Amino acid sequence: MVRPNNNQLPENLPQLQNLIKRDPESYSDEFHIQYQHFLSLLEVFALNPSEENKSLDDIVMFVAQVAQCYPAVCEEFPKRLSDLLKNYATVLDPAMRNCFVKALILLRNKNLVPALDILELFFQLLRCPDKNLRTFLQTHIVTDIKNMNAKHKDMKLNSSLQAFMYSMLKDANPKAAKMSADIMIELYKKNIWNDSKTVNVIATVGCFSKVTKVLVTSLKFFLGHDEEDEEEDTDSENEVDLKGALMANRVNKKTKKRTKQLAQIKKQAVKAQKKKKNAPAFNFSGIHLVHNPQGMAEGLFKQLQATNERFEVKLMHLDVISRLIGIHDLFLFGFYPYITRFLQPHQRQVTRVLQFAAQASHELVPGDIIEPILKTIANNFITERNSSDVMAIGLNATREICMRCPLAMGEDLLQDLAMYKTYKEKSVMMAARSLITLYREQLPALLHKKDRGRQTEAQAERKVRAYGEREVHDTVLGAEALLKDSKTIDIESEDDTDSNDGEWVNVAHSDGEGGGDDDDEEEDEDEDDDEDEDEENSDDEEDGEGDNSDEGVESGEESAKAKKEKKDMKILNQKEAAQELALTRIFTDEDFKRINAANLKKTVTSARKRPLEQDRAEFVKLNSIEMIYKKRKHDKESRLETVQAGRQDRERFGWKDGRVNEHCSKTNREKRKTKNFGMLRHKARSKVKKSFKDKQQALRKHLLHQKKMK
Amino acid sequence: MASKVSRDTLYEGVNGLLDASAKKKRGFLETVELQIGLKNYDPQKDKRFSGTVKLKHIPRPKMKVCILGDQQHCDEAKANNVDFMDAEALKKLNKNKKLVKKLAKSYDAFLASESLIKQIPRLLGPGLNKAGKFPALLSHQESMIGKIEEVKSTIKFQMKKVLCLSVAVGHVGMKSDELAQNVNLSINFLVSLLKKNWQNVRSLHVKSSMGPPQRLY
Repeated sequence: MVRPNNNQLPENLPQLQNLIKRDPESYSDEFHIQYQHFLSLLEVFALNPSEENKSLDDIVMFVAQVAQCYPAVCEEFPKRLSDLLKNYATVLDPAMRNCFVKALILLRNKNLVPALDILELFFQLLRCPDKNLRTFLQTHIVTDIKNMNAKHKDMKLNSSLQAFMYSMLKDANPKAAKMSADIMIELYKKNIWNDSKTVNVIATVGCFSKVTKVLVTSLKFFLGHDEEDEEEDTDSENEVDLKGALMANRVNKKTKKRTKQLAQIKKQAVKAQKKKKNAPAFNFSGIHLVHNPQGMAEGLFKQLQATNERFEVKLMHLDVISRLIGIHDLFLFGFYPYITRFLQPHQRQVTRVLQFAAQASHELVPGDIIEPILKTIANNFITERNSSDVMAIGLNATREICMRCPLAMGEDLLQDLAMYKTYKEKSVMMAARSLITLYREQLPALLHKKDRGRQTEAQAERKVRAYGEREVHDTVLGAEALLKDSKTIDIESEDDTDSNDGEWVNVAHSDGEGGGDDDDEEEDEDEDDDEDEDEENSDDEEDGEGDNSDEGVESGEESAKAKKEKKDMKILNQKEAAQELALTRIFTDEDFKRINAANLKKTVTSARKRPLEQDRAEFVKLNSIEMIYKKRKHDKESRLETVQAGRQDRERFGWKDGRVNEHCSKTNREKRKTKNFGMLRHKARSKVKKSFKDKQQALRKHLLHQKKMK
Repeated sequence: MASKVSRDTLYEGVNGLLDASAKKKRGFLETVELQIGLKNYDPQKDKRFSGTVKLKHIPRPKMKVCILGDQQHCDEAKANNVDFMDAEALKKLNKNKKLVKKLAKSYDAFLASESLIKQIPRLLGPGLNKAGKFPALLSHQESMIGKIEEVKSTIKFQMKKVLCLSVAVGHVGMKSDELAQNVNLSINFLVSLLKKNWQNVRSLHVKSSMGPPQRLY
């Protein structure tokens, strides 16, 4: 039967949807019919909610799709859906529930429902035993909050959402709490909720949750690393090459498409530049943002002592506590005896425990609190009844601890440990030597005299700091390097145009005139500095050197003591002068270059080995404790690898024939060389001539035979 | 290469600042601070720097210092009219968090003698450290007054979580020359701490507590 007007719209919802979206007003009647239909279906459905109802499914999606066209009619629509979900959350058929949730999300994306209501509903839905739904909800919530914050941050909305999340974190339902923690962490990582408020909620609530899963996620959050570094690198690689594009456009044929492309590139370049200019949003590891680190560390430690969780969770606790102590310089004296209990070579994950011990030591911890740890390590690890690996690990851990808290080490213990520098196992020896190098830098007085080594200038300048003492500089470190032409620089600051040449004339002048001790001695000191100066001053320098040699003869007669005193005086004078310099003018980049060079030189002069690395990372790397130097024998695979690597760029090894065309075929003679010998034997034999004796015998035989025949 | 901040701009800034504060007297001695904006620095990846430097002229003369000393130091402090506490007084605080906090709040800095400083974490707990006022060391070789002056004239540069920092470098009661010297030294020291020196500096301002900021760089 053919319908009048061929109107199939009531059945064909997608088409109706399409039409409505184009022209809502003219189709409002049809929509009303459908909406009434939906209401009646809903009533029917409410009688038996656990049943699947395909037509309701379709019509719900339809209404959700077009709801924005008839806001007045659909006012009640979201409420009906959410009521349904609220009332029958666990009873509903999974497919139907999914459909309702999707419809609600659609409405949410069109901003027809307030975010907070829907969030509450979704957290209720987490009670449903449906994992797909839960993951779906989580991604939706994250993206929804992200979208809300994409253009501008609505602080009011955010704070209300955050408050809701925080209350959820305390929720009795473990799934809801876990999800709230997950969402917060994800939003933090995406730089959306990266304020200290979020961090502190995770710190104060999440880390002390009764639910292990929540606890672990929160702890992991504080241990986590930011993995976004790599992304950034790729970003910089993808940078727009504007110059190249402009050049290409000038050379290439001009078409509309190309001009369009160029415009696009220009736009992108501007965008990229803007991006660079904008202050980057920093994603701190959460530990720095904690308001009350001391309280948190104490609380975690208490929890740790009371807990009965698995060993991994305990380790996590230890890790977070040690990081807190190290970064915020906390005092938590109970921690050290606790961790000492775990310091046995056979303890599971002992290197990590050692790492935590090192992380938890900092300069403000009194030495007598850390010393027991060092003693325990020395007794349990660094004895010859243990394997060399254990000893090396113990020594490495000792070094890491002492790097952070050098005062903890006693003289006797250090000298005992230093004796391992000649141990027969290389790993132990290397570890002991690294400890010695550390103390050469930090506290050479503790070492045995012959272990102290020759001091570099920088080491000599470094003062040993007693407990609680702070390093206070009078001036910029190494500013003395600028001194030798300080006078000229003063002139320079008055009239900046003075050229380099002029300065040097000045110095030479003063030299020639006075020939005073001070100037000359300064020359003496700076002699090697001067090497890198321009050639222009070479003649001046010669003069200076001549003076120096005279001085040398004179000074040889003086007693060494007086010389030293004088030198001290001079250094003092230099210091004062350097301070004066720093007070009167602002150093330029060039000056800093010279200062840095001079500082670097100080660490190198009279040093036999390369200087110790000064940088102190925030966290102890596990690698630095576990690194046991041991050169292993090549196994076959690695040997082959090196062989292959060596082969890569060289020509094929061996005999090469002088063929002009290397693809041409071989001659028979050549082929014979590779043939099986069995096939060639007869041929080979035929070539061999009979020996004289054989011939004789054959001839005799033949003759005899002929005689007989006759 | 000419220096980034010429002598003239520096003096101009300092004088402008002093004029502004002279025009409108405030009820207190205004502090002059140096505000620094950094760039090309990622506080997450790059090492966070910190350094302390002793200025030539005391920037904050009103700073209150308390001596936590042994017998000898306490006597000396009494003679010099400086606040002091001995070990017994500290024990009386009994690690009481509120009392320690109160103590930390009531002084700007602490000095402790060698024999006492090691016990301070045990005696007082984390309170002083929490407030960032862990005592400095006062040995018997140094003169107490000199050390107090040193503490008063010491400023600390520390970058934390944000790319800007500010330090007190003087007060408006100082002469412009003195102020300029302090500013010079602190700029030099700060720039020496930075990884790429001047390339890391976005801006420099000097500003008195209530006055308008003066841009130097």
